[in-house]
Amino acid sequence: MAVLEARGLSKTYARRGHSTRALDRVDLDIRQDQLFAFLGRNGAGKTTFIKIASTLLLPTEGELRLFGHDVVAEPSTVRPLMALVPQEGKLFFHMTPREHIREYLRVRGTSRETAQSRADEILEAMGLLAYQDTIALRLSGGLQQRTLVAMVLATQAPFLFLDEPTLGMDPFARRQVWEVIRRAARHGSTVLLTTHYLDEAEQLSDELAVIEGGRVLYKGTGEALKSTLGREVRLQFSGGFRPSDLEPYGKVFRERDRLTLLTTRSAVRELTDRALSLGSEVTVGPVTLEEAFLELVGRGIEEDES
Amino acid sequence: MTIRSQAYAAFRICYFNGIMPLWRSPLLIAAVFLTPFSFLFFLYVIAPRALFPFGVVGGVLFTALFTGNGMLNDCAYLRLERQLQQVFVASPVSSLAYILGMALSELAFAIPASVLFLAILILVAPVGPLGVGALVGVLLLTWLMATTLGFFVSTMFSQLREIWPIGTLIFSLLSVLPPIFYPATEIPAHWRWVAYLAPSTYAAQLADRAVGLGGAITTGVGVVDSPYFDLGMLLAVTLLFGLAALYLARWREP
Repeated sequence: MAVLEARGLSKTYARRGHSTRALDRVDLDIRQDQLFAFLGRNGAGKTTFIKIASTLLLPTEGELRLFGHDVVAEPSTVRPLMALVPQEGKLFFHMTPREHIREYLRVRGTSRETAQSRADEILEAMGLLAYQDTIALRLSGGLQQRTLVAMVLATQAPFLFLDEPTLGMDPFARRQVWEVIRRAARHGSTVLLTTHYLDEAEQLSDELAVIEGGRVLYKGTGEALKSTLGREVRLQFSGGFRPSDLEPYGKVFRERDRLTLLTTRSAVRELTDRALSLGSEVTVGPVTLEEAFLELVGRGIEEDES
Repeated sequence: MTIRSQAYAAFRICYFNGIMPLWRSPLLIAAVFLTPFSFLFFLYVIAPRALFPFGVVGGVLFTALFTGNGMLNDCAYLRLERQLQQVFVASPVSSLAYILGMALSELAFAIPASVLFLAILILVAPVGPLGVGALVGVLLLTWLMATTLGFFVSTMFSQLREIWPIGTLIFSLLSVLPPIFYPATEIPAHWRWVAYLAPSTYAAQLADRAVGLGGAITTGVGVVDSPYFDLGMLLAVTLLFGLAALYLARWREP
């Protein structure tokens, strides 16, 4: 069952005589308990979509329903069902992580005992116990972001909007946060997150949508997106080949002194043999979501330009 | 959320945004006190002694009026710089609870300075408990008027740098130029009508009357010269700003 349904959702920002189409007739369904990722370049429309869905912003056209309620007409009905990590949100500088979590839960109407136990639980799960009594002013950017995410996840709201939740976190912290987000989804929250980390989207999401220029270019699983490339394997060569040698086999691009080739499984044996005979180092792996994303968005940009 | 839980949400916001920072950084009290006290000191040095009680009442009113500037800056800062207002919008907390919570936290900042000015007032003017009670009532209305105006204005801008000068401009016009620190009768007669353009003039006249000071504008029109006129105007402006904060402010961006 879809708990978020967007139909023909559009948003045009008009400022000082200029108008920018941030969302262009977006249709989207997100099912109950799903972990859904929104991918796109900066300014693609991800945050605008989240702002409209979380009742921060009015759309220009179209409709968005959350749990069957129109977010434009019934904001006070849907607001208790949601919690939001805003993009580049920051904490109250004079409060500790524990106080942030406890006070936010108390403001939302959670009882003192529940707020206390949820704070204990999430501080531990997010690796924040050691910093629980340090005021935010003295926390690093990553720890502040972790606190903000903890504060919102502790609400256990039925719908969680996470706009770039792991921005500025180290790889260990990101993995800790992923686990808590997964747990939230297992416990019945539906999660819509935006991220620029493609590995994060791949690790976390049940489904994802790619948005470019305010239009949804793709919606489905990460695996299905990768399969749209028509090439399953990624070969990396250092030395031995020129790009023109590899172009007949697939898509070639240069990264520093290495050549990367996205190709089919059938070409792997031949190319690795040739690489070894030329004394080239070769690494073989599956294509990544990032490559599929770049290909898809690149096509989208070309279409827009043409 | 029920009305009771919204009221509780407002109290919690006041607790962590007002009481908690005051408790942790008591120097903030001095910051609120310093500007009106400087004005008062200036008056003490240059003005006739008879005007000093007006200056003290002005100090009390100034702290109440400047809660509006604090509200404007805090709300804009939390929305634009910290993105924290958005966390409250996307939650069961209503705009009324948020406004009230933020306004109460501004009041928490103003209370120590107001109490100090009230204490000075009791020393320099023959004010009884009834007068103090009436003055506190005027202060509360002024606080409500200023903070609702501050919230409304805070939602109208998208850049902090635009908001800072606007706040200073609005609240200086409301608190320094009108007859807050001095009696309205000190204004040349043909310019006194200008004072009525600032709602703080009504608050000041009410406050001066509450503590038994004269100096209110007399126009010769009975209704206008009555304290009920000042009270009615102050209530009307407070209601107007309150409605603007609730229904015209951008709790949700257009």
